[in-house]
Amino acid sequence: MNQFVLQHGKSAELRLFPHILEVGMKKNGSIQLNTFPSTISEGIRMYYIIEGKFEWRIDRHPYIFYPGDVALVLPGAPFGSDNGILEIGSFTWIHLHMQKTTGGHIAPGKWSGLSDSEGAAIGKILSFNSTPILSRFSEAGKILKCIHIELFGQEIGYQTRINHEITELLIQATRQMTRQNHSGRDFPKTFMHLEEILRQNLAHQWTVEEMAALVGMGTTLFNERVKSYSGFSPINYLINIRISEAIKLLRRPDISVTDIALDTGFYSSQHFSTTFKKLTGFRPSEFRKNHLQNK
Amino acid sequence: MKSIITIELGTNGVRVFAFDLDGRVIGSMKGYHPTFHTEPDMSEQDPEQIFITTLYLLKNLLNEYIHPKKHKVACICFSASMHSVLAVDKNGNPLGYAITWADNRAKKEAEELRHSALGKSLYAATGTPIHPMSPLLKIAWIKHRDKDRFALTSKFLSIKSYIVHQLTGEYLTDYSIASATGLLNIHTVSWETDALKYAGITAGHLPGLAPVFTSAGRLKKAYQQSLGLPAETKILIGSSDGCLATLGDGIKGEGKATITIEDSGAVRVMGSSVLKDENMRFFNYLLTEDCYVSGGPTNNAGNIFEWFTGQFGDFANPYDMENSMQQLIEEASKVPAGSDGLLFLPYLLGERAPIWNADARGAYFGLNIKHERKHFVRATIEGILYEIYSIGKTLGEQRNIKSLSVNGTFGTIPFWTQMIADMFNRPVHTRQRSHSVSIGAFLLSATEMGIYKSLDDAARTVELPDVYKPDKQHHAIYAAYYNIFEKLSTKLFDEFKAIATLQQEHGHPIKNIPSKPITRKKQKL
Repeated sequence: MNQFVLQHGKSAELRLFPHILEVGMKKNGSIQLNTFPSTISEGIRMYYIIEGKFEWRIDRHPYIFYPGDVALVLPGAPFGSDNGILEIGSFTWIHLHMQKTTGGHIAPGKWSGLSDSEGAAIGKILSFNSTPILSRFSEAGKILKCIHIELFGQEIGYQTRINHEITELLIQATRQMTRQNHSGRDFPKTFMHLEEILRQNLAHQWTVEEMAALVGMGTTLFNERVKSYSGFSPINYLINIRISEAIKLLRRPDISVTDIALDTGFYSSQHFSTTFKKLTGFRPSEFRKNHLQNK
Repeated sequence: MKSIITIELGTNGVRVFAFDLDGRVIGSMKGYHPTFHTEPDMSEQDPEQIFITTLYLLKNLLNEYIHPKKHKVACICFSASMHSVLAVDKNGNPLGYAITWADNRAKKEAEELRHSALGKSLYAATGTPIHPMSPLLKIAWIKHRDKDRFALTSKFLSIKSYIVHQLTGEYLTDYSIASATGLLNIHTVSWETDALKYAGITAGHLPGLAPVFTSAGRLKKAYQQSLGLPAETKILIGSSDGCLATLGDGIKGEGKATITIEDSGAVRVMGSSVLKDENMRFFNYLLTEDCYVSGGPTNNAGNIFEWFTGQFGDFANPYDMENSMQQLIEEASKVPAGSDGLLFLPYLLGERAPIWNADARGAYFGLNIKHERKHFVRATIEGILYEIYSIGKTLGEQRNIKSLSVNGTFGTIPFWTQMIADMFNRPVHTRQRSHSVSIGAFLLSATEMGIYKSLDDAARTVELPDVYKPDKQHHAIYAAYYNIFEKLSTKLFDEFKAIATLQQEHGHPIKNIPSKPITRKKQKL
């Protein structure tokens, strides 16, 4: 296939696909300067390497990409190469517009055919897993090629098929990412990774399905492994983290109990108070009073 | 019916057991809490999460096994890992996280002190090896390197002292935990002046010293209500996991030693005198004023086999470590003793006893063209157990060990237990599905309650029904290979140092527990 670039607002081929910001393919025969500078996009970007070796910088960190790899760039992350150098080789790419959910995460739009919760989960997993290289992911190359052919062929049903293929690409990328980060061997490492994300987003109303998806597991296996490893169900483990963090905040005089409740993921100060008292025997305000006194 | 509850504050989590007064387990639960490595040398735990985990487990244990049957809780007894340090301010609020035994931040301080005259005299007085694990060195580190925290600190507690303080309001530490701080003179059972001076603190910075039988005050009202326990429920300060595992195996008296193999491991003896050692290889901790638990710890035990399984196991079921380990052990059992001449040095995490060399590293030695994967599996297990044997052998220079007991998740795997018997050429006693630390805590509680006249009496009631007899032929093979193992462990000293230096320059620094560093959410100010 020949080189091409189609852009939202400029190319007629994309008229039916407002969520595709850019799609293209590049064959580069000689090293070129100032052609691949660092840029920032509001969309999510995926670059699939067909031939050659590329040194690119994503979110300020350098990475090397080989054929079969995909560079995954999140909205707002700078992406390009130092001095704008473009090495010899070929690659294809797609930029997709993503919606912002109320929680501040990304999610594909209605075009995708994903349910709201699956779309949100995929957006979250792509955001939380900070590895921008998806290795040996030739499936992505096949999907992108199919999208190109459909875009130019415009046979009957092509709009549906393209949206289908993009959805497929997002699903496969998400699965590839969790599989690559979680080999199925080291549960302690996987659990630590999960714990880290939970702690960084404690205010979020986590569901078990979301937690399981984050580490690339189905909910049944996830429940079973978490219980046998930690002794807790996933939700009870999360509540323990919430209460422990809340205790730390209660020891400081400068945050209101309501703020603490919301910051640590309880949906109200009432809910916080009940849960806290059930476990510790104290109401949060009593606990605070006891620990702020000089003894 | 009356019951005794034991709470074990361990390295990776909390375990609670309920016993009836005959020592039968009525129920048990465990709960994990994480270890954070904000820097490669650091190993810290959240005291609040440990407390919440403890409360949660205690409450659930009571609600599931005790309250519905109207059992009466006569006593709650604590045990804990040694060497932890938690600084608290004048209101008892933690200043940062608790520092665990695995933390190496004070390695420079330890290296200096170990090679000084003061180090030698402190070791002789306190019984705690001069090592970064020791609270003596951790407190000195905080004084010099974390001055703000030091200035605000009212007390340096252990994790157990903190949990007990939360429950009852008392600041206490028991003899066993205190004797593992490097700050206690184990001969006079009082804080050692030179040690306090080195750490830069006074006795007022430490919790009150208490014998292991001490009642640590009454449960606060709120906990009496939330747990459904009467005010008179006895809270026993208890002892350390190492001392209680030894007691729990009935190792009181001459001629006996106990081997613990969990993630890390130890070989221990109990007696009325300390083990003196010019080379400072052994620890001597206190169970009571006239009873010392002595021995040597290893960094490289079950965690090394888990590492091996993680790399080379089949994992037909995702994340099923146990099944994968079981398959590897079956594979290893098809290889003759001695692994057809393949030797493994297990020092992946540096080593404590008996070589005390933080730079030591692992190696497979003697590899030839006929060795297969299964040889590596068996050699790995043999190497881990040669290391255990090397501790036992050095202990044997001072104590005549006639029989052994084995406990811990890995030690009680029959294939491992048999190998231990063969290597030591001694009968090995063990029991399946039991937890020596908690049984030790039960025996301590029952003695305090007058059920047994003394700890000796209590220890004599312990029965370890499974006996593994040594195989003489295997012993001869292991003994021959062990000679090479022992020589390599010291002969490679310079090369260990050289490669450790290169690894530090070029590679990622090693961590005691493999997990990613956690970046903490910035708290609002």
